[in-house]
Amino acid sequence: MRLLFILLMLLGSPAFAAPSTPQDQVKQMVDGVFAVLNSDQSPEEKRIQISGTVQNFLGVRSLSQRTLGVYWKKGTEAELKQFMSLYVQILERTYLNRIEDYSGGKVEYVKQRIKANKAILDTKFVSSKFDIPVKYKLIENDGVWQIYDVLIEGVSLVRSYRSSYNEILRKEGFDGLLNKMEEKLVQMEKG
Amino acid sequence: MRQIIFFLILLTSVVSVDLAFAQQPEQSISVSEVHGTDFDQDFDQDFDQDFDQDFDDDFMEEDSAQLISDPFETLNRGVFWFNDKVYSYLFKPVARAYRIVPRPARTSISNFFSNLSSPVRIVNSTLQFKFADAGRETTRFFVNSIVGLGGLVDAADRWGKIPKKDEDFGQTLGVYHVGQGPYLVLPFLGPSSLRDAGGLVADSFFDPLTVHLSRNWNFLERMELRAGRAINFLSLDDDSYEKIKRDSLDPYLFMRAGYAQHRVAKVAK
Repeated sequence: MRLLFILLMLLGSPAFAAPSTPQDQVKQMVDGVFAVLNSDQSPEEKRIQISGTVQNFLGVRSLSQRTLGVYWKKGTEAELKQFMSLYVQILERTYLNRIEDYSGGKVEYVKQRIKANKAILDTKFVSSKFDIPVKYKLIENDGVWQIYDVLIEGVSLVRSYRSSYNEILRKEGFDGLLNKMEEKLVQMEKG
Repeated sequence: MRQIIFFLILLTSVVSVDLAFAQQPEQSISVSEVHGTDFDQDFDQDFDQDFDQDFDDDFMEEDSAQLISDPFETLNRGVFWFNDKVYSYLFKPVARAYRIVPRPARTSISNFFSNLSSPVRIVNSTLQFKFADAGRETTRFFVNSIVGLGGLVDAADRWGKIPKKDEDFGQTLGVYHVGQGPYLVLPFLGPSSLRDAGGLVADSFFDPLTVHLSRNWNFLERMELRAGRAINFLSLDDDSYEKIKRDSLDPYLFMRAGYAQHRVAKVAK
């Protein structure tokens, strides 16, 4: 009995002791989201729970910095702060509005590559209807791996937003962009 | 008769499996030849290059450049507006009403058209020297035409685990290092580029349906069929355009960015 216990300890301990890897981090988030999705709560309850879960895993600053590109250096601290807050809300709304589209499926972890403080994790979303390759890009901040970009079938979230936001910034500046974002949020909240 | 069919399937699957395997050993041999004793070192180098390429958007100064050029933006936006109206007020309402047809029936119709266009994928896989893919598409064509009741059932994917792989002449040109050229929004068809629009024309010569119809049907009949196919397709789609429109600050810009990246990813595959 004691032997069994020691064996269990030996087998179990590395998992506890090892620092979390990018894959652990993404898996933790994915498992959390799936647990909520597969529960039988109302869509509204699911939204609230998922919103709390996902935010912990995002590197909001890295994400925003890459979305703004060259404009990151041009914005004032206040503008950047407001941008980050609006951006996260827009992303949340966008993805949370699609909760009802989910109808089962699982995530397979294909490959993890780490170099210094950056990592790329290849995963595949597998459902009865289709397989979708999903790639996560992570950055290590203060010992924690945070997601700053997601590529779905080769289409990068950051790049897509950057391409349209930069165009608006170029034509209308920060004021124009922030106003548009606020308007959009109001519109999205109405449904 | 049954024996003949069985033999055909066996033959085609053997040929394609052969092709698939013929490719793989070749590749692995060439890898070990190239790398030789310094395999690990070279592997690391490859890995680094690969990794850095995946991170290339971190060079933020350069990457604020556009994903695709758009010198005809004004015109494109006009066509985009037109398509939006045609979609919202004509095609989508019809597609929604048409959803009373059970989903499996609609999926079968979509499979049927997809199977008919197999030659396009076979020709383009071959032109890109992807012979294993060409073999798989050929197998799919035979299996689905014969076992899948003339293409209504995607039997090759369902039971043979051979999924469809989209290839078109735009991608072939991309493999030959032809850039996308300027962005174009085509009436009714939506986002495209100069390269891909040209590719569409080239592909129509390999599409048995288009070839057959252009000889035997008049223009109006062909347009009706195309509209029917589009409506069937839209009835299977989960309002993806509506979602983009609802969620993005400028749907035109968002779709342009998505299209450009999607095509780059497809060429690389």
